[in-house]
Amino acid sequence: MDWIAVGLKEDVPPGFVIPSRIADTELAVWCSPSGTYHAWSDRCPHRGMRLSHGFVRGETLACIYHGWQYNEAGSCHYIPAHPKLTPPDTICVPTYRCIEAGGVIWVSLTETDTPLPALGGRRTVRSLPVSMSAPDLAAHFGAAGFTTIAVVSDHDVLLAVQPCTDGECMIHALAAPDADRSAVSHWLEDLRATLERVPA
Amino acid sequence: MNAAIDNHWYPVAMISGIDAPRETLLLGKKISLGRDGGACWVKDATGTELPTVERFGHLWTSPGQPNRDLFTIPEADSPGRRLVDVGSVKVKCSPLRAVENFLDIAHFPFVHTDILGAEPHTEVDRYDVKIREEVDEVWATKVKFYQPQAAKSAAGGITTEYMYRVPAPTCSVLYKTCPPRPGEWDIITLFVQPLTDEWCEVWPWMALYDDDSTMSEMVSFQQLIFMQDRSILENQLPRKLPLDPGMEVPTQADMTSVAYRRWLKKIGYTYGAQLVAA
Repeated sequence: MDWIAVGLKEDVPPGFVIPSRIADTELAVWCSPSGTYHAWSDRCPHRGMRLSHGFVRGETLACIYHGWQYNEAGSCHYIPAHPKLTPPDTICVPTYRCIEAGGVIWVSLTETDTPLPALGGRRTVRSLPVSMSAPDLAAHFGAAGFTTIAVVSDHDVLLAVQPCTDGECMIHALAAPDADRSAVSHWLEDLRATLERVPA
Repeated sequence: MNAAIDNHWYPVAMISGIDAPRETLLLGKKISLGRDGGACWVKDATGTELPTVERFGHLWTSPGQPNRDLFTIPEADSPGRRLVDVGSVKVKCSPLRAVENFLDIAHFPFVHTDILGAEPHTEVDRYDVKIREEVDEVWATKVKFYQPQAAKSAAGGITTEYMYRVPAPTCSVLYKTCPPRPGEWDIITLFVQPLTDEWCEVWPWMALYDDDSTMSEMVSFQQLIFMQDRSILENQLPRKLPLDPGMEVPTQADMTSVAYRRWLKKIGYTYGAQLVAA
């Protein structure tokens, strides 16, 4: 699978964690205090709690349920109930490739040699949920795929599309560096209204 | 019908809250309940009366034929205790997840921060856990934990001692150090009504020594604690409780949970359980 946009850098500052997803794969996306982005399976292996409800402490993500801390490789390195214990290597969270580039947080669920999508110097504007599947959205614009869709418009908009469920996707929008962000935002809302009126 | 599941007693209402007849769910099936004069009744969807017990301020019923009486808590009868109907909270999780969370102390510093626990007091010492075969109950004893505000009646931080008892698959009784009366146990219970296998109604009930707090203060304290628990319970994946090892990783602090899961498997209680690793 290609790189997929799962969020915007400005929405996940250092020290924050958010829930995200790529289709059926639920993700905890977090940024360490030093600015490195991570996308992990959204489930603590201890009791199944969502890690996206957790907290960033130092260069670790901790589960909110029992405070188990996972280092940047996804390995559990501290269990507060047993402070003197070195947790076995087997306690770890599945991690995915995650890179921030051009203000977009990109994730690939599989190892990939595919280069990150070119953004043509555009800047991020906002994210917007749309009640339409990602492939249908690509088809609407006659695009080959949905990773990024360039739209002929006043603002030179580029849509990075994140598949969520069968009938939902998230659009992460970028536009020309000098575009009026507010105008682009209104344009996106109009686009959504149009898309959601298209019969399935 | 599954006798291992149906032949248990289940809480379905707070007796003081029963006025007009109403419907609810038990194990995924519609039942109705109400009161005629002094006595409460429960009927299944066909109108057939189900057995009832009125105990601990709650109405209990069973869709099967329980082969023993509803458990008792003799300590709760001692004079001077205040009996607290806490009310109910509906939670979108397996009834078994709700009980297991109640048996867990390691989450106190993170979920009930500065009330039932606080960093850096996170360590859980070894305690004793046993399936008491003669009564078919799970017991954990000598559980100790530092608590900043162990109860509404606590004046400051204390090391609290706990005993946990699981007398029925969806019920647990906690015996806990009583801050105003060292040497006595406060009793806090969690009675869980399985609405479905992924949705439950939780009825906490307490028998406390506390001469100072008002009833509503004691209720509010316990409700605050349970609302904090709910934010966890509705965000565990899967919603059902995995009984087979492999899907979740226990440590020594989780010995009660390990025994509870083992006991459920032994008695064949699979409602709300996930048996095969997904």
